Amino acid sequence: MCDIFALSAGVNYTAQQYLPIFAEKSKRNMSGWGIGFFRDNEAFIEKSAEKVYDGEQVHESFQRLARVVDSRIIVSHISCPLSGGRHTAHNHPFSLSFLDHVWLFVHVGLIDGIADYKTTNEPKIDVDVYPARVFEYLRDQLMSYLRYTPYGSLGASVVKAIRNMLAEYPGRYAFVLANESVLFAFCNFRQFMLLRESASFGNSLVLTSIKEGLSDNEWISISPEPDTLGKLLVAAGPDVLYLGDVAHGSLL
Amino acid sequence: MCDLFALSAATNYSAPRSLPIFAAKAGRNLDGWGIGFFRKNRAYVEKSADRAYHEGRFHDSFQRLARVVSSKFIVAHVRLRTSGPIDECHAHPFILQFREQDWIFAHNGKAPAIEAYRSDKFRLEDAVSDSARTFEYLLDGIAARDTESGDAPSLFRAVADTSRRLVEEYPGNYNYLLTNGSVLFAFSNHRQFLLLKGSKQLEGGLLLTTLEHGLSEESWTRFAKEKESAGVLMAILGSDILLKENL
Repeated sequence: MCDIFALSAGVNYTAQQYLPIFAEKSKRNMSGWGIGFFRDNEAFIEKSAEKVYDGEQVHESFQRLARVVDSRIIVSHISCPLSGGRHTAHNHPFSLSFLDHVWLFVHVGLIDGIADYKTTNEPKIDVDVYPARVFEYLRDQLMSYLRYTPYGSLGASVVKAIRNMLAEYPGRYAFVLANESVLFAFCNFRQFMLLRESASFGNSLVLTSIKEGLSDNEWISISPEPDTLGKLLVAAGPDVLYLGDVAHGSLL
Repeated sequence: MCDLFALSAATNYSAPRSLPIFAAKAGRNLDGWGIGFFRKNRAYVEKSADRAYHEGRFHDSFQRLARVVSSKFIVAHVRLRTSGPIDECHAHPFILQFREQDWIFAHNGKAPAIEAYRSDKFRLEDAVSDSARTFEYLLDGIAARDTESGDAPSLFRAVADTSRRLVEEYPGNYNYLLTNGSVLFAFSNHRQFLLLKGSKQLEGGLLLTTLEHGLSEESWTRFAKEKESAGVLMAILGSDILLKENL
C-alpha cells in the first residue's frame, strides 16, 4: 500500500526532519515517489519512478529535496506497485488549476470503477492511473458547486464532493488535497497520524499514513468511525480548523 | 457605530484603494482608527485616537499606511466610542499572544454586559472597553476547548462554540474579526458583513466590510445572521470562505 506525507505551516518550512524518515518507513513501496510544494502560489512537483529507498539509502534526490524544499504546504507520496507508478508521470502528487488556485493531490486506496470516469472539464490529467481520475472527479464536483456560487463554503463543498464520490464509486480512500493555503485530508480506511509541532519546529502540522508516525512524539491517530463515511481534517497553517466525521446527512 | 474592514488574500496585498474609501464612508466614526496586519507571522497594529477622515481629508498616517501595509490579512477599524475612553489604547485592533501565535481582533457593536468579564489568562492591560473583554473572552473560550478536546481540537468548532456562549452569557451586539495570520474569523450577530471577491475597481483577494453598501459600485454579497441563530461565523482563507455556519 502506498503512503502519504503532508505538512502545513504558518510560514515556509522545510520538512528535512520528517521526509527522510517517511521514505525509510515506506521502503516497502518501491515504485516511485513524489514531492509537491508551493512557491509564490504556484505548485511545483518533483517526482521519480525510482525506488525511494534502496541499498539502505534514501534516494539521493529525495534526500536533497527534503533539505531544500520550503513551503507552507508540502505533500509527498511513495508509491506501491498497485498504484501503477511505472513511469515518473504516474507518480503522485498530481496538480490541477481550478477555482483560482493550483491544487496538489495525493491518494492511497483502492476504488472499483473510477478508472473509467470521464471528466467534463479541462485540463485532463494525461496519465492512465485511477488516482488521477479521483482528482478530476473532485475537481469537477468542486467546480460544479463553486463556479457560480463564489461565496459558498469550500469546506462544505469538499464534503459534498466526497459524499457523492463515495456513493458513485465506493472504495477505500485516503487522500490529501491542498492549495497554497489550505489542506484537506480524508480517509475512510487505515488512519492518518497527526503531530502538531511547536514554534521551535516551525509551528506546523505534520500528517502521515505511516501508522506509527515519524518520530517518538505522541502522534494523534485519525481513524474513520464506524457508521460514518470517513474522517475529514481541514488544516490552515499550524491549525486544525476542522476535524470530524463525514456523516451521511451532514454538510460538515 | 464603529465599522470594520478586512482584506484576505493568498499572497501579500496592500489596500491603497479600499482603505481610504472605507475611512471616508465610515467618516461619522470620530474616535480613532487602527490597521492590523502580519509580517512573517508577527502581528502589527498601527492605531490612533484621531479621526481617519475629516472634512474631505484623510489622516496623513492612515493614508500612507493604506499604501504601504502589505499582508495576507489586513484588518482595519474606525471607532465611534460606545465603551471605554477615547485614546490610542482603546482604538482597535488589539493584539494578544495565544498558542504561540499572534492574534489580531477588532470589534464593532455594543455589549456593556461583558465589561465586567475578567480573564485569568489574557489581559489587554489598560483597556477597559467591551471590545477588550470580548477578545479576552474569546481566547479563554478557545483555550478551554483546546483542553477539553484533547490533542487535535478543531479551531473553527472552538470559535463557533465560544461565540455562541458569548452571546448567551453576555448578550449584546457583536461583529468581530479575529485572525492568527493563518485564518480570518468573521462573526456577526447584528448589522451585516458585505463581501466582494475579485474586485475590478479595488484590490484583489476578498474584501469585507460592515458598511451597508460596500466600498464600490460592484456587486457585494451580504452576510447576516439568520433569524433563529445566535450569529453567523465564517472562516476565511485567501479569497475563499472555507467554513460558514449559522450558530
